[in-house]
Amino acid sequence: MFKQTLAVTAINLKSIPQRPGMSAATVLSIALVVGVLLGFLAMANGFRATVQGTGADDIAVVMRAGSQAELNSNLMREDERLIAEAPGIARDADGEPIVSAELYVVTDGMRSASQTPANLPLRGVGPRAPELRDGFTITQGRMFEPGAAELLVGENVLAEYEGFALGEPIRLGSNTWTVVGVFSTGGTVFDSELWTDAPVVQSLYQRGNSFQSVRLRLASPEAIEETRAYLDAEPRLNVDVQSERAFFASQAGGTVTLIEYVGWPLAILMAIGALAGAWNTMYSSVDARVREIATLRALGFSGFSAFLGTMVESLLLALLGGIIGAVVTWLLFDGLTASTLGSSFTQIVFAFAVTPGAMIAGVILALIVGLLGGLIPAMRAARVPLLSVHGG
Amino acid sequence: MNDATLVRKNLFRKKARAILLIISIFIAFLIHGALFAFNAGMSGGFGAVAADRLVTMNRASFTVPMPYAYWGRIQALDGVEAITPLNWVGGYYQEPMNQIQTFAADPESYFIVYPELTVPADQFADALSRRDCAIIGRSVANVQGWEVGQRIPLSSNIWQRDDGTSVWEIDICAIFDAALDNVPTNYALIQYDYFNESLAFGRDSIAWFSLLTGDPDRNDAVAAEIDALFANSPNETRTQTEAAFGESFMAMFGNIALILTLVVGAAFATILMIVGTTMVMAINERIKEVAVMKTLGFPAPRIFRMVLSESILLSLVGGLLGLLAATGLVTLVGAAIADYLPGVHMPLSVALTSLALMLGLGLITGLIPAVTAMRVKIVDALGKS
Amino acid sequence: MTANALYELSNLSKRYTRGREEITIFSDLDMAIPHGDFIAIMGPSGSGKTTLLNLLGGIDAPSSGEVRFEGARIDNLSQAKLSKWRAANAGFIFQFYNLMPTLTAAQNVELPLLLTKLSGKERRKRIATALEIVGIADRAGHRPRQLSGGQQQRVAIARAIVADPKVLLADEPTGDLDRASADETLKTLQLLNSEMGKTIVMVTHDPAAAKYAKRELHLDKGRFVEKEALA
Ligand SMILES: Nc1ncnc2c1ncn2[C@@H]1O[C@H](COP(=O)(O)OP(=O)(O)OP(=O)(O)O)[C@@H](O)[C@H]1O
Ligand SMILES: [Mg+2]
Repeated sequence: MFKQTLAVTAINLKSIPQRPGMSAATVLSIALVVGVLLGFLAMANGFRATVQGTGADDIAVVMRAGSQAELNSNLMREDERLIAEAPGIARDADGEPIVSAELYVVTDGMRSASQTPANLPLRGVGPRAPELRDGFTITQGRMFEPGAAELLVGENVLAEYEGFALGEPIRLGSNTWTVVGVFSTGGTVFDSELWTDAPVVQSLYQRGNSFQSVRLRLASPEAIEETRAYLDAEPRLNVDVQSERAFFASQAGGTVTLIEYVGWPLAILMAIGALAGAWNTMYSSVDARVREIATLRALGFSGFSAFLGTMVESLLLALLGGIIGAVVTWLLFDGLTASTLGSSFTQIVFAFAVTPGAMIAGVILALIVGLLGGLIPAMRAARVPLLSVHGG
Repeated sequence: MNDATLVRKNLFRKKARAILLIISIFIAFLIHGALFAFNAGMSGGFGAVAADRLVTMNRASFTVPMPYAYWGRIQALDGVEAITPLNWVGGYYQEPMNQIQTFAADPESYFIVYPELTVPADQFADALSRRDCAIIGRSVANVQGWEVGQRIPLSSNIWQRDDGTSVWEIDICAIFDAALDNVPTNYALIQYDYFNESLAFGRDSIAWFSLLTGDPDRNDAVAAEIDALFANSPNETRTQTEAAFGESFMAMFGNIALILTLVVGAAFATILMIVGTTMVMAINERIKEVAVMKTLGFPAPRIFRMVLSESILLSLVGGLLGLLAATGLVTLVGAAIADYLPGVHMPLSVALTSLALMLGLGLITGLIPAVTAMRVKIVDALGKS
Repeated sequence: MTANALYELSNLSKRYTRGREEITIFSDLDMAIPHGDFIAIMGPSGSGKTTLLNLLGGIDAPSSGEVRFEGARIDNLSQAKLSKWRAANAGFIFQFYNLMPTLTAAQNVELPLLLTKLSGKERRKRIATALEIVGIADRAGHRPRQLSGGQQQRVAIARAIVADPKVLLADEPTGDLDRASADETLKTLQLLNSEMGKTIVMVTHDPAAAKYAKRELHLDKGRFVEKEALA
């Protein structure tokens, strides 16, 4: 039984070169289907990784109650002081709470690739802001000086926008800034931002004493409950507190779902198209070998071995297509940066992430195409009438 | 019987094969038609209805406000026929998820600048006479089930009133409609003064102005004049046509056109390979028949045309079915989402592109087989029995 | 050379080059085929019978020499002109019938009429007549797959005569048939020759088949040996 199948499979596989065009077309069309699927998944995964990767459980974001985005929030200097008194906040060696009051305005930059203007977030931060971003490092230059019109720019900004070279003056709106450093947080959304001292933003953008958010480091992820209870009970405050992870998850969710909801149906539709191609190829494969199969059957080979032989051929072509699609997509797209609209109408730069999970999903889709595409032709192979021995 | 009969019979010689090819072509054209129709609907949502309408906003971003005083200064310019200010309200009803796109507006000038919107005269007069009146779009009325005369607490997720709350009580005094299907009416207008005077912070700010120049040829000059007026001030402006603004807004989502082109390109590359190789194989199976036809006296150009017609017919059958399905899908979905994204339909330009692609696909996939068939040497082909 | 001959072949040669060596199939062949002739060409395999038939049918060109049909040369015509010539003057019958598998018997017979300007009514009449002559009218709606070899060959003959050509060129028309079917086919050809005046050139290996012709020509080592047929 096993030997039979092996023999028939070998005959099948050896006949592939007789149909080089069709077999290649099947492999490539399946590769393209997998490529499209992985492209979308890479986009969704990359976006999710960027936005959600930004969120830590032991960092909390406090904003005015009801404001879903930083841009909609408004907090005063007094609010910051009240918030910093809450329990559950981590403190440094000197017993100072680790908090940063921040405000965020939107400015415009010029994208170097497309030469189109795009919104860039300019974030005024407190001196402790770096402690509130895990993995923060200054990769070039230095920190901005408090009170000076100096910019620390995120890595992605440097890569995607024009005019942010270190040491260069740059005009944003009616103000001129100097880029003094470049920072990285390891690919989170902050890498798409410009940072400076909060009071500088307040004065240049006429924001008085107002902030939008207060970020704080929690003593532990669970401590947030304690903090929340305190803030809710404080009558002078009208604020919401949420963990940074929850905050970003709510910001990213819609976009990720949208990309996935577009990507999967498209990939499935295209897979049906490729299925037609695979089916066709396998039909031709069976057609070309009707006589051969009948001869084997006459010699005593079972119909089932003819069935398996055809299935194996189909699955192998599909597997090849799936692997080519996955590998090529990985080579082309993994790490490719793109940007889209984040919260508050600013741009988030993210990197496509072709994850192993997505690659496996792609190969499985390819195998399903191979399985369904081979099934009916294989059944036909199993039922080749013995009389076909005589005719061509 | 004529040549068309022969073409048809040859195409459907192997039914399963022909149907499979038609399915794969069908899918590629369905993807193409549907994606590009939706894309057109999304970009068209900003409806560049009036060619002479400009928008002025803060150069930094449309999320950064401009001072109220800009209104009068722009209005004073010669080239500006009519102007209306707008501000974001960030409205929602009861639940933050139940968003109602709301603008603080000056209704009187708003409906001059947007003549494609209509409000019943009596409702409009009523709305102007009372400060807490709102004029809502037909789509908002449809989605929320609101009617004229209802009183609604509208919340804002951006602003706060000086009494600490974020809720404005409004009367629905009028409902506006659009003269054209693709003009959105999925937003509400509340009166600027009523809204502004109660704000706890950010009073007297304006998110953007819409204005008419009266003549598209004057657009550039007027835009330059406005932006020059505020150059080197803390709030520089950017003035552009409504269409240009719509484009740059869409561009912020990323290069959607590029993604669509890649996806559709992949779909077409797939069918090009599948159909192309199958057609080559199909003609190779029939070389002998072609030789017989030639022996009977069918001239080579006629055989060339017949084979080419076969691939074009195949491509047209699959393609037209795909375009039809795409049109059906877009029409159905378009009707279902009309209150959120109006004007989604199959644009003529997409349908024509689709037709051109069908012919192109037919020609490309048919060319090699047709040349092969035309070049068949009778003696060689008949020799192989 | 008879003045009223249908075909006149003069100095006809056919050579092939296979790699470096040149093989001559035949050279300096002279022959005339009068109107109304029925020739059986015989000879060993590889002697050039099919080649000769191809030259007569204008689907192959000689290496040198001339093929005249009704006094006009056809060996130097362009492909386009040859197509027209074939459609108007020659009917072909093959050993393996070569019917279009997707078409019915009637449609197969109709094929050559697509090259004419005949009206639909006239076409239907001609198809019916042709099928009648070969005695297969009752199978008009059948596809080749549904017909026996002999029946298929009759459809092929109907196709060859439907456009009313002057000459029928048949390459081993009975090579694939049993005795009885072969005899039927040959009788039909004989009838076409005697009653309808069709000139027929038939290649065959079968001496019994050759008996149906008016005369036999033996092609061997590039030369003809003529033998008057017995009545
Ligand atoms: N294209 C070609 N190239 C080289 N040699 C050829 C070619 N076509 C035919 N020949 C040779 O020409 C010779 C005559 O071939 P032809 O087919 O005319 O023989 P035939 O008499 O019809 O034989 P049979 O009785 O087997 O049909 C053969 O030796 C054949 O090998
Ligand atoms: Mg021969």
